[in-house]
Order: sequence, then structure tokens, then C-alpha cells
Amino acid sequence: MSEQPGRDRHRWKTFSLAIATLIIVFAAVAAVVAFAGQLDKIGFLRFPLGFYLMAQGLLIGMVAVAFWWTRVQERIDRSFSEGEEI
Amino acid sequence: MSPSRRRQANPHLGAYYGILTSAFVSLVVSLAMFEQLGWQEMWVARAMILVPLALYLVIALGARTLDVEDFFASGRRVPPVYNGAVLAAVLIGGTGFFAYTGTLFFLGFDALAIGLAWTAGLIVSGILFVPYLRKAGAYTMPALLGQRFRSRIVRAIASVLQLPPASLLLAAEIKVAALILAMFLPLSHQLAVACVAIIIACVTIVGGMRSLTWSASAQFVVSAVGFAVPLIIVSVLLTNLPAPQLTYGEMFESLKRLEIVTGVSPSAPSELATALPREQPRPSAKPFLQAFGAISQIDFLTLFLCLTLGAAALPSLLARSDVTSSVADQRRSVAWGVFFVALFAISAPALAAFVRLLMFQDIAQAPANALPSWLNDLSAYRLLFTKDANTDGAIEATELFVARDGIVLALPMAARLPFVCTVLTAAAGLAIALAAAASHLFTLAGSIADDVIRLVDPRSEVLPRLMVAWVAIAATALAAGVFLAFAEIDVMQVAIMAFASAAAIFFPVLLLAIWWRRCNWLGAMLALGLGFATMAAAIAFGGAPIVGQFRLTTVFGALIGTALGLIGGLIGSLLGPKPTPVEQAYFEELRDPSGDALYDRAQRRAAATASQ
Repeated sequence: MSEQPGRDRHRWKTFSLAIATLIIVFAAVAAVVAFAGQLDKIGFLRFPLGFYLMAQGLLIGMVAVAFWWTRVQERIDRSFSEGEEI
Repeated sequence: MSPSRRRQANPHLGAYYGILTSAFVSLVVSLAMFEQLGWQEMWVARAMILVPLALYLVIALGARTLDVEDFFASGRRVPPVYNGAVLAAVLIGGTGFFAYTGTLFFLGFDALAIGLAWTAGLIVSGILFVPYLRKAGAYTMPALLGQRFRSRIVRAIASVLQLPPASLLLAAEIKVAALILAMFLPLSHQLAVACVAIIIACVTIVGGMRSLTWSASAQFVVSAVGFAVPLIIVSVLLTNLPAPQLTYGEMFESLKRLEIVTGVSPSAPSELATALPREQPRPSAKPFLQAFGAISQIDFLTLFLCLTLGAAALPSLLARSDVTSSVADQRRSVAWGVFFVALFAISAPALAAFVRLLMFQDIAQAPANALPSWLNDLSAYRLLFTKDANTDGAIEATELFVARDGIVLALPMAARLPFVCTVLTAAAGLAIALAAAASHLFTLAGSIADDVIRLVDPRSEVLPRLMVAWVAIAATALAAGVFLAFAEIDVMQVAIMAFASAAAIFFPVLLLAIWWRRCNWLGAMLALGLGFATMAAAIAFGGAPIVGQFRLTTVFGALIGTALGLIGGLIGSLLGPKPTPVEQAYFEELRDPSGDALYDRAQRRAAATASQ
């Protein structure tokens, strides 16, 4: 058993958040690429949906994910009193 | 109070850059008035190009420094928003500004992989590498590897292997900037290249990362204004709303109709290497909205992955990972970088769609012998020509040859905006190309100076260390200038090659070094070596079949190189010695987000020991 459970928990949460964020980004891109043809048959704001998601939707999502990841990671750092600089 | 707590950014930065933005907007408005009052286009162009250039040099001079931490890490006090803006400028660069928008014009939907990949790459970099580089505090990415594995050889090899990605991008950005200078100033291509090399060398020599950061922030402002203003004006003219990103969808029905009238029909995907447009003028043969009409779904994903991994491990971006005041600020700066890159990637398709609509609208209506005047203007800049091949008296899409890198400049011309809008766009492209070129130059030269030359001559006195950097910067700029004065390169192809090299060479070793405790120097060397060897083979074979029909293209080579690098790194680490307790302690300390950078701590310890 580790002698520093707090530190290990921090490492594990950081690792889990990194993996979850990367999965969200890559899965969203893969899904839109896979179904772009079908999505293009649906209209959204006068754009074909597949095109819209590629040109704007995924990018807006990535910006949201980037700021979300920053906030959650800062919370993880703070909760273990390791974020003295935050 | 820890030293990093004392790292305060200049509280007047917002005011300074507000004044700068106002001054630039005033210059644009003044030149627009002078143009209407009868100033010759030549003088409008010279003022629009030269005044901002002087401004960048003045800012760089104002940020001059002889302090080592300022020179290599901008004093570690750059606010996150400014660092995010510079990250975006370096990632997009003149290549993105001109060549990506041109690629969107030709490929439409299929080119969106590039913008998506840049944005995703910055997120991946932020999650996997950037906070740990900031915690390490090493001035260069090879220095982090050297400290992590306690190996000067790994550090020197990593520094030399930065040459392919950084020098390719440096060459591409200098070429873009020189093209703009030669287009609007009375300069030959060689002289324009020399001017660009001198400008970026001056900016980086006087203050290193510090002068680079503050001049690049100004260049970001100029490029954003220059990109947005003509686009918003055209959006208002075409859709009555100043939000091109939201409104260009309205144009799609008209665009589809015009594409049919001008003879653009759905196409079948071809190989990625041939599908991407080159810089020579060519007709646009694929409908804008057709999904996977130029490249297949698999090639789309391959290109996306290659550029994502390349952007994540791009040395010039990672070199900016130690300039903010804390690990948390560095993360925030990545988020801002993602925001700025995404904003550009969202706006660029609108620009491409507007240019396509305006061009096809005019050629569909005009006979071949009475084409609109903007076509002649673009022809004068060698950005476009028409050829009525079937002599039917009309110009079809296949008879309109457009240069990929001229699409951004074509927007204000095709919309018949005043000439000042065209040179505003050119000044914007020049600004972002200079920002990116200076960053690639500093990454390359700074690393050669600090990671290779100091390996041979590890003197720590301040002046020799900076002098080595100055000489390395001047020599690198000279080499790049001489190379470009005689070599012909396609900026988009070269940029893709650079991103592919960064992915294959650096992604595996960084991933293993930062995220796997067991990784050792042997694994790192194997990861670096296999990635480099794969990319060298891909570039040497140039996409020719190797075994049967299997082609090792640059993009595919990047993915194979990344996989081989990871496998090699794993095997080498398992076969090599276990990491020493010192290496393991360093690995653990990298993950502690609080406290000072490890490099700063080591420097203070060394200074204390020396003073005793």
C-alpha cells in the first residue's frame, strides 16, 4: 500500500481526467466523421448538420472542453492542497 | 513568499495593447481616407506594410533584455491570454492564414480536418505535456528530456532532431512573409527573403522570448483585425449581418446553383498526396459541401490524427510552456490558445465560401471576353488566370485557375472593396507569418545554443550564454535565408511534413517520459530514433509504393513512426536499466502542480552552493 494516499489519489484523478477529456475529443470527431453523410441530410441554422459540426460544432465543443478541463484540474489540485500557486 | 508569487505581469499591458489596437485601426481608417482622396495604391500599400513593421521592431526593442530568464522564458510572467494568443499565432502562422483558407476554397468540407486537428492538437498538448513542461521549467523541450533521464546525450539528440519540424516551418513562414513583401513593396524575392530573415533575427536577438512574446502579441492583434474586418464587411454586403460564421450557411443554396451552372460536379476521392492543392493555380473541381469528395473518410481521419499529434508535440509550441507564472496559468493559456485557434478555424470556411460564391457569381454571368476587373487585378498579382479552353465564350469552373495562397487576398478584390482592405489583409498575413517565423527561429536557435553548444562549453556566465544564443539565431536566420533564396517550396506540403515529423519524433518520447515512470534513457533514444528513421524513410520514398501497393506517405508515415516510437520506447525501457531514485524523484516532482519550477529550484541550489 502506498505511503501517500492523498498524493496517489491526486495522480489518479489527474490521469482519469486526462483520459476522459481525450476520449471525449477523439470520440466526438470520430463519430461526426463516421456519420457525416447521414448528418448532412439534416439542416441546422441553414447548414447541413455534418458540415456544421465539422466547421463549427466540434470546435465550439473543444473550446468548452478545454476550459472545463482547466477548471476541473484546478479543483483537483486545490482539493489536495497542492495548488498553492492557483 | 515563494519567488513565483512575486512574478507579476505588467498591470498596464491591457492599456498598451488597447492603444496599439486603436493606433492600427486609426492607420487603416486614415489610409482608407487617403485612398479616397487620391493617394496612389502604391503608397497606401507601402504605408500599410511598413508602419506596422516599424511598430513590431520598436516593441521588440522596448522588450530588450540581458537577463537569462527573460531571454529564454520571458521572465515567467506572461499572462495566460497573451500566451494563448501567441500560441495560436505560432500554430496558425502564415501557412494557415493563406494556405489553409486556400485549401478550404478548393476542398471545402474535406479540408476541415486541418482546422479541427490544430485545435485538437493544442488540447492534447495541454493535457499531456504543457503543465509538466511548466513544472520542469526547462528553457527548451530537449532540456526537459535531458533532466528527466539525467542524460546530456538524449538532450543533444532531441535538440538536433528539432531541426526537421522547426526548420521546415521556419522556411515556410519566411517564404509566406517574403511573398507578401515582394508583392506590395518594390523588392525582388531574394531581397524580400533577406529582409524577413533580418527582421525576425533582430526581434529575437534583442530580447529572446521576451521581445518575441510582446512583438508576437502585437502581430496577433494586427492579424486578427486584418482577417476579421474584410470578412465582416463582405458578410454585411452579402447577408446584411456582421457575423460571417453564422450567416454563410444562407449562401449555400446560391453556391450550389452556381457550382452547377459553372460545371462543378460531385467528384470521387483520390489519394491524399494528390488531393491536397499545391500552390500553382488550378481549377476548383469539387463541390464545396460534398463530404469526402476529394479525400476518403480514412484519409480524412489519418490527416486529422497526423496533424493533431504533430501540433501536440510541436517544439515551437512546447517552447512556450514555461513563460507563465504557474502551472495553472500555463493550463489557462492553452485553453485561450484553443479558443483563438478555434475562432480562426470557424471563420476560415466562411471566407472560403464567400470567395467561391463571389468568383462563381461573376464568371457565371460574364462572357469570356468581358470578365470583371478584379479578375485582371488578381491576374496582375499572378494569383489567378482564366482560359476559355472549349472556346464557348464563357468561363467555367474548370477554366478558372486560382492560386491556393491568394484566396484571402482575393476576398476584398472580388467583393470590390477599396484597395486598403486588400493591403490590410496582406499586412495581417505578414504579421502572423512573422510571429510564427520568429518563434520557429528562436526555438531552433535557442535549443542549439542551450542544448548543444553549452554541452561542449558549459560556462554559466550570463554574457557568454546569451552571446551563444545571439550567434545561433543570426546563423540560423542566415541559413534559412540562403536556403529560401534559391529553393522552391510549397508551404502547405512543407508544413504538413513538419507536423508529421513532430508527431513521429517527439510525441512518443514525450508521452513516455512524462507519463511512464519506468521509461529510461534507452527507451527515449529508441523512441526518438525510430520516429526519425520512419519519417526519413517516408520523405525519401516520397509516397512511392514500397511493398506491393503499400505507400509510405508523409502523413501515414507520421502515424507509423509514432506507433514504432512508442513500441521502441517501451521495449528499450524494459530492456534498459531501471530508473535511478533521482530520476524517479524528478518524475514525481513533475506531477506536483504547486511550488517553483524544478529548474529554478536547481539554479538557486547551485547558486547557494557556489556562494558558500
